[in-house]
Amino acid sequence: MSDSEPEAMAEADGVPSTKLPPHLELRRTRVLCKVDAPDNTDTIQYSGAYASLGHENSLRFADFCKDFRVDITRISDDDMELDMVGVDPSIANAFRRILLAELPTMAIEKVLIANNTSVVQDEVLAHRLGLIPIKVDPRLFDYLSENDTPNEKNTIVFKLHVRCEERGQRLTVKSNELMWLPKGSEFLKTSESLTSTSKPETYTSFTCSQDSMPEFAGNPIRVYPDIIISKLGFGQEIELEAHAVKGVGKTHAKWSPVATCWYRMLPEVELMEEIEGEKADVLKQKCPAKVFEIEDLADGRKRATVARPRACTLCRECIRDGEDWEKRISLRRVKNHFIFTIESTGALPPEVLFTEAVKILEDKCERVISDLS
Amino acid sequence: MEHTSFGDQRNATFSFAEEDHTLANALRFSLNQDPQVIFCGYSIPHPTKAQVNVRVQTTDKEARVILKDACQGLMQMCQHIRGTFDKVVNDFRTKNPSGNHPSQDMDSD
Amino acid sequence: MSAGKEGRALSILRDVFLANVRVIKNNFRPKCIYVAVMLRRMMEAILNKDAMDDKDYVGNKRLELSGQLISLLFEDLFKTMISEVQKQADNVLSKRSRSSQLDLSMLLVKDSITLGLERALSTGNWDVKRFRMHRKGMTQVLQRLSFIATLGHVTRILPQFEKSRKVSGPRALQPSQWGMLCPCDTPEGEACGLVKNLALMTHVTTDQEEGPLISLCYCLGVEDLELLSGEELHTPNSFLIIFNGLILGKHRRPQRFASTMRKLRRIGRIGEFVSVFVNEKQRCVYIASDGGRVCRPLVIADKGISRIKEHHMKGLLDGARTFDDFLREGLVEYLDVNEENNALIALYEQDATPETTHIEIEPFTILGVCAGLIPFPHHNQSPRNTYQCAMGKQAMGNIAYNQLLRMDTLLYLLVYPQRPLLTTRTIELVGYDKLGAGQNATVAVMSYSGYDIEDAIVMNKSSLDRGFGRCIVMKKHSAVNQKYENGTSDRILRPPRKDDRNKKGENPDWERMQILDNDGIAAPGEIIRPNDVYINKESPIMTKGSLKMVALKDSDYKPSRQTYKGAEGESCVVDRVTLCSDKNNNLSIKFMIRHTRRPEVGDKFSSRHGQKGVCGTIVQQEDFPFSERGICPDLIMNPHGFPSRMTVGKMIELLGGKAGVSCGRFHYGSAFGEPSGHADRVEAISETLVKHGFSYNGKDFLYSGITGCPLQAYIFMGPIYYQKLKHMVLDKMHARGSGPRVMLTRQPTEGRARNGGLRVGEMERDCLIAYGASMLIYERLMLSSDPFEVQVCRACGLLGYYNYKLKTGICSSCKNGDNISTMKLPYACKLLIQELQSMNIVPRLRLADS
Repeated sequence: MSDSEPEAMAEADGVPSTKLPPHLELRRTRVLCKVDAPDNTDTIQYSGAYASLGHENSLRFADFCKDFRVDITRISDDDMELDMVGVDPSIANAFRRILLAELPTMAIEKVLIANNTSVVQDEVLAHRLGLIPIKVDPRLFDYLSENDTPNEKNTIVFKLHVRCEERGQRLTVKSNELMWLPKGSEFLKTSESLTSTSKPETYTSFTCSQDSMPEFAGNPIRVYPDIIISKLGFGQEIELEAHAVKGVGKTHAKWSPVATCWYRMLPEVELMEEIEGEKADVLKQKCPAKVFEIEDLADGRKRATVARPRACTLCRECIRDGEDWEKRISLRRVKNHFIFTIESTGALPPEVLFTEAVKILEDKCERVISDLS
Repeated sequence: MEHTSFGDQRNATFSFAEEDHTLANALRFSLNQDPQVIFCGYSIPHPTKAQVNVRVQTTDKEARVILKDACQGLMQMCQHIRGTFDKVVNDFRTKNPSGNHPSQDMDSD
Repeated sequence: MSAGKEGRALSILRDVFLANVRVIKNNFRPKCIYVAVMLRRMMEAILNKDAMDDKDYVGNKRLELSGQLISLLFEDLFKTMISEVQKQADNVLSKRSRSSQLDLSMLLVKDSITLGLERALSTGNWDVKRFRMHRKGMTQVLQRLSFIATLGHVTRILPQFEKSRKVSGPRALQPSQWGMLCPCDTPEGEACGLVKNLALMTHVTTDQEEGPLISLCYCLGVEDLELLSGEELHTPNSFLIIFNGLILGKHRRPQRFASTMRKLRRIGRIGEFVSVFVNEKQRCVYIASDGGRVCRPLVIADKGISRIKEHHMKGLLDGARTFDDFLREGLVEYLDVNEENNALIALYEQDATPETTHIEIEPFTILGVCAGLIPFPHHNQSPRNTYQCAMGKQAMGNIAYNQLLRMDTLLYLLVYPQRPLLTTRTIELVGYDKLGAGQNATVAVMSYSGYDIEDAIVMNKSSLDRGFGRCIVMKKHSAVNQKYENGTSDRILRPPRKDDRNKKGENPDWERMQILDNDGIAAPGEIIRPNDVYINKESPIMTKGSLKMVALKDSDYKPSRQTYKGAEGESCVVDRVTLCSDKNNNLSIKFMIRHTRRPEVGDKFSSRHGQKGVCGTIVQQEDFPFSERGICPDLIMNPHGFPSRMTVGKMIELLGGKAGVSCGRFHYGSAFGEPSGHADRVEAISETLVKHGFSYNGKDFLYSGITGCPLQAYIFMGPIYYQKLKHMVLDKMHARGSGPRVMLTRQPTEGRARNGGLRVGEMERDCLIAYGASMLIYERLMLSSDPFEVQVCRACGLLGYYNYKLKTGICSSCKNGDNISTMKLPYACKLLIQELQSMNIVPRLRLADS
């Protein structure tokens, strides 16, 4: 970041209002990370905060649209990093919170255990199964509420039947042994076996097979492979059926669509004075994140420059040794620039997760509006 | 739910069930940006209850209207963010075709 | 007459007085000399206070081991048996006419010794009349609560004196405890300092044969006591030789004698636990081979140079040598507390001077097993280590490798136990890294939400969802298929199923018996709910009287089913069922009932530094702070826990753990381990942290999960090993509206198990009095407790009764109902009045108008 940035921001804020003096502008837009504690961490949200200076602090929508920017640095199947510039932390945080807690996914909620002679206890086994991510778009399913019967629109059924047949061997049961049952549960309800002469009742009532649906035809539902569920000794057996339903991360972390999701504010490293010669070398050596680089000046002198401010992990190593170093270098964070990282568990690609999260916040607003009118 | 003192529609507390900091904090930001708001804040009365109380005090308009406007503003912002994001993702994909997703078709809406 | 008395006195002098000095062929000389030496010592002590012995000195103490105690018991039982046989044999032989030959083996009472030993072991009462020994509580059931509890229990040393005495001497830390007994591990409260624990390398000696050692002493130039006069014995240039408390004689060159003895010990000619101690002050050489001394191994150094060389250590590492080889080769030897006084022990090899005779193996071995789990204990305030020693035993985790096959009455297990990130050498030596009892939690030291006051911790709900702190509690329930004296026995029946009907066409109980197998016993893996039957047992109605040969009919049995009584809403599972026979040869059926619990508000957790705290609140992950790398803590601890506790070790554990996870190497924190490399230095840890982009002081830049803004301080965050303690709210929560009362006083019962009331005690009462809340007191102490209406006679002041026929109160002493008043008083008060009356004390009530 160049030091001309704050001024540029101020201009964008509002044409009619006067510009803030630079020291206030710095405090408004930057977190100052000093040796002992960060300073100016809060954002000043109140529109009239600088009224006495004639500065209007509110953000008009048009200005927001003008300044708002998204840059993507990386997208892969299960994670992405993006820069979001020009929003308040409260908005960015709302997205983060929604991603963690309010985006629905499918996860195993009910486990019917027919046989489990492994060392892993039934409850623990069920808990482990619950945490396995299922690679399926949750938007294709409905929530299963308390009185609903599980059907093809709200439940996915998996079967696990493994047995260690080899003497003296340990069998590792991994999550890819979970078989999708598109026709629903295969276990019969024992209590009903005598009364009904018609089709025997199972634990789900699917009206059609899930693989006949267009979404899943030729695209079977899978779970994340390579997760160890249990280990079996000779003769041990696990036979169970796992029913996955839709839910949100608020209820249980297993429904969270992200492994984790977080942001950091853009680091900004300023050299307050020229650092030359030996000191520049010292500075370069100090930083474990290699933020600083040495520039050779024309007259053979060496000068330290900030080459990679984004790499700064805020270890404060560069400002650790005494007050004079603290004076030379100023570590800052830009308050409205977020480096957002989303690590998906596999249900949805990360970019879809993000748009979904934004939609959920919109829905919330809409709900409030409809509540109020 | 809304709690106002009788005859004074400018000061009100709104109580939202099943909401938390996610909405309330974003709303607080949105409300604060409105010059007509004198005061706004929120609280979660009890950690085990899913409820937030948002307090809004305005200069002359009804608090309810202001809050609605704030929601509207927040929604607009979200829509803009979403639009920008989708565009950037598409641009990124066209620039870096290596990372193509089989699940891209899901992102239709 | 006097001859008899004289004889008795002589026999007392011979057999009882100083019984350790044997009188051979009526030679009282050794005994006389012994008494004289004793007197000499006494006088010296009177003249010179420094010559006094310290009774708390560990070298003057002996531990009693099980072998010794059992041998005493056996001796008693054996001799009793012999005398019994002798008596019987005399009896038989004294008879005139004997038909058969005397067979002594027939006279032996079968298994009298077995029964005696069994009785002593099962009751713990050691009653040995022959030695006037009456001790209680000599046996204990080994604690199997956790692995560490077991280890701590087997190294425990119990004192002989009563705990109630207010003495400070024996409770104080003795300098001679160094290396032998753990300075940290002692309980709090009345047994503080009296109950001790062995240190890591301590060995307790057992008895060794004396004869060869005595003759060896004489061979090495000890002048026999028999040949010396009193004057000669104490010549200034000679030392007394005392062997196991027996004066053997004197020696003119004691140092040479001692070093020869030691040399012989090092080459293995005499036992490795024989101690040779030259006491310059008392001018004595003490040789001890008795049992119960504590001793520990030390590396021998010659003129300050360790005998253990590089190649020895290499052999040890390669597995070519063992510790016993070291001992056999004379590189290492055991020293007891007394002999340590003749040694100059260097802490480390580099500290050795030419005078040094021994080098410590490792300083951390002065601690015991429980204290050895603490990382950096030498940075903690000492009571914290003591608290942790008590708390480590309550931690849930693994118990033993066979934990899932054991049938303990109560078993606490952790679902996902972990190995501590910050280990110590002791942890590796005892195997705690394989049977851990805790989890590495990422802890942020900050204040959060106000639910973290008074050491409470705030927990991350998502961490709990993912399995943090999850535990399994198993309880054993047993049933016995009893056999009765008349030949009948209990029976276990196939349970009624849903479609079964009895004669009346009813089937009331099938729902409660769904979990039963066809054999009438609960099936493993079934979910058991409160009031479920886990064994469908029936008992015969007639269990006494004549033996009926006819088969019993169904009507001769009454159901004696056992139902599970657990809290409502708790879903337990039958884990295992075992069938075995008990000692009365009855079929015994044992059920392990398992309950998996996730942490809830009020469960107790502790780090390894005596810092316990309950879970104050559980917060959603999105509300938790997160770091720049996306790390979210598992729990938040209030920083106020640090200043007064001064547990610096915990902070270093956090730093070390953080460095450990970032560089992928387990860090060490053994006690006093920095100089020897068994503990990482803070400087090195900080360097590692910086290398991985953390701040050297472990403080991270965190964002608030609530507002999204950075926090206004850097937060000290990193992994700390947390233990879940066995105290959980689920077992303790209790409330009562109305409920059972005690028969005698009609007051509410006491305790959670009996659904008792919550007591308003004396102090609470005082508060209410001081506040003036008289009606509240009235309500709590009477109306809610034991109100009772009595008839009081105003004339005599005694209690009367209410005649329901006449509908009046009547005074039984005045024989009329003229002056009866009705009043309310606590039933306990009425009881007191009546009990006093029964003791001929007449309390009279004098009533006044209010």
